[in-house]
Amino acid sequence: MSLNLDKASMAFTFKGGMLPMTVMELTSADPERIREQLAGKLSQSPAFFQHTPVVLSVERLDEPHLALERICAVCRAHKLLPVAVRGGQDPVKQSAWALGLGWFPPNEGGRARSLESVASDEPVSVAPAAPVAPEATAAVASGSRIYRGTVRSGQQVTAPDGDLVVIGAVNAGAEVLAAGSVHVYGALRGRALAGIHGDAQVGIFCRELRAELLSVAGNYKRLEDIDPQLLGTPVQVGLRDAQLEIIAVT
Amino acid sequence: MAKIIVVTSGKGGVGKTTSAAAIATGLALRGNKTVVIDFDVGLRNLDLIMGCERRVVYDLVNVIQGEAGLNQALIRDKRVDNLHILPASQTRDKDALTAEGVEQVLESLSSDFDYILCDSPAGIERGAQLAMYHADEAIVVTNPEVSSVRDSDRILGLLASKTRRAENNETPIKEHLLITRYNAARVDDGDMLNLEDIREILAIDLIGLIPESEAVLRASNQGVPVIHDEDSDAGRAYADTVSRLLGEDVPLRFHEIQKKSLLSRMFGGGRR
Repeated sequence: MSLNLDKASMAFTFKGGMLPMTVMELTSADPERIREQLAGKLSQSPAFFQHTPVVLSVERLDEPHLALERICAVCRAHKLLPVAVRGGQDPVKQSAWALGLGWFPPNEGGRARSLESVASDEPVSVAPAAPVAPEATAAVASGSRIYRGTVRSGQQVTAPDGDLVVIGAVNAGAEVLAAGSVHVYGALRGRALAGIHGDAQVGIFCRELRAELLSVAGNYKRLEDIDPQLLGTPVQVGLRDAQLEIIAVT
Repeated sequence: MAKIIVVTSGKGGVGKTTSAAAIATGLALRGNKTVVIDFDVGLRNLDLIMGCERRVVYDLVNVIQGEAGLNQALIRDKRVDNLHILPASQTRDKDALTAEGVEQVLESLSSDFDYILCDSPAGIERGAQLAMYHADEAIVVTNPEVSSVRDSDRILGLLASKTRRAENNETPIKEHLLITRYNAARVDDGDMLNLEDIREILAIDLIGLIPESEAVLRASNQGVPVIHDEDSDAGRAYADTVSRLLGEDVPLRFHEIQKKSLLSRMFGGGRR
């Protein structure tokens, strides 16, 4: 991502800052247990829970996948505002970004670093849960990635620096993410997130729309919100006036 | 060297053990020296389906922990000569299985047998992963319902990533789809997913389709693998499956509604 310096610098300046920040060190990934404990804390010291920003630290958990959206929902329900996640494996990082949260590497402060620098410093290839036979992927120019085969439930395929092209289906329970656009030459039954670093000019393209979730630059639609007439048809998805727009491709 | 085949599904109750018992029996009936291993430590069932529950002395965990020799734990099937069963332990849990132990057991069995069938526990945790880790082929058992299909999809992802062949970049595990409890009439009514939808989602080769059948429940309760029931549709469907596993080209049956004539309906003919 490049910063649009010519115009943007007029409206603001970037400054490093050290802000006091509450770190919520998770020792369980179970949203129910977190909810219970938060409910107890809330009754003890309600003053603390005033939309307090917190960083969720998951360094002490070694699950590759976390129900991050549920944990965040529990926090928000108790007036804690998760602003970032610290630690965790690749899928956690991707989920954090997908949820619009920042990600900090484990075991260091990292507070002064901006989201952009975190985002660009690591060429992430694929989540541990979804290794791909080497011949199944081919690196192409500009950080784009081609994945051949079915992306199965529980797998996550990411193109952190460019477009993602899937030659095959994305099944329910699978997740495909790209900094650029997501192209699926098959049925899209899982979740597709394009523009995970905030690029709003990208889109999602698929041959058969059945997606659980579509997101472009953080604007999302769930399967429920999608016009049933479009289901099963080839579509393109993009942002128009900050609204997700799904258009049939003929 | 034996061929190691894991029978797995992710979801419980879809017919893994029934299928493992039937297919192992079928392979043995066709002259292959076969052993079927119950990996469901703590929830042992295979011995019941195989009808050898009264003859279990030692089990897989005893062997892994060095408390018994492999030959002491192997149970010879009463009906088929070439068939052996290695039961799971009922009093332990999956943590009693170790990767090294499983590897050693499979290695020693490998020289004596043609086929080793691993009957996986449900789930995607340790027990299931150990059962699939060394496999050469996988039979993914799926019921015609969405939750089963999704779980099978998840298992296929694990087969492609968390197994020896995947980790060593060898030829990937050969994956076969086995659809069980298929009821053509209910598929027609839209109560169940149809064959083509399942194949499209899972995108692997179909090795067999077992119709929903009373014969399966009867066989389980009697402790006789259903493949012995040659008159039943399920028994014949498993025999077809075994033939396909052995590389034969057998046409698919039982996927369409069997139209019963008025007469057979009146006289209750056409055993299901």
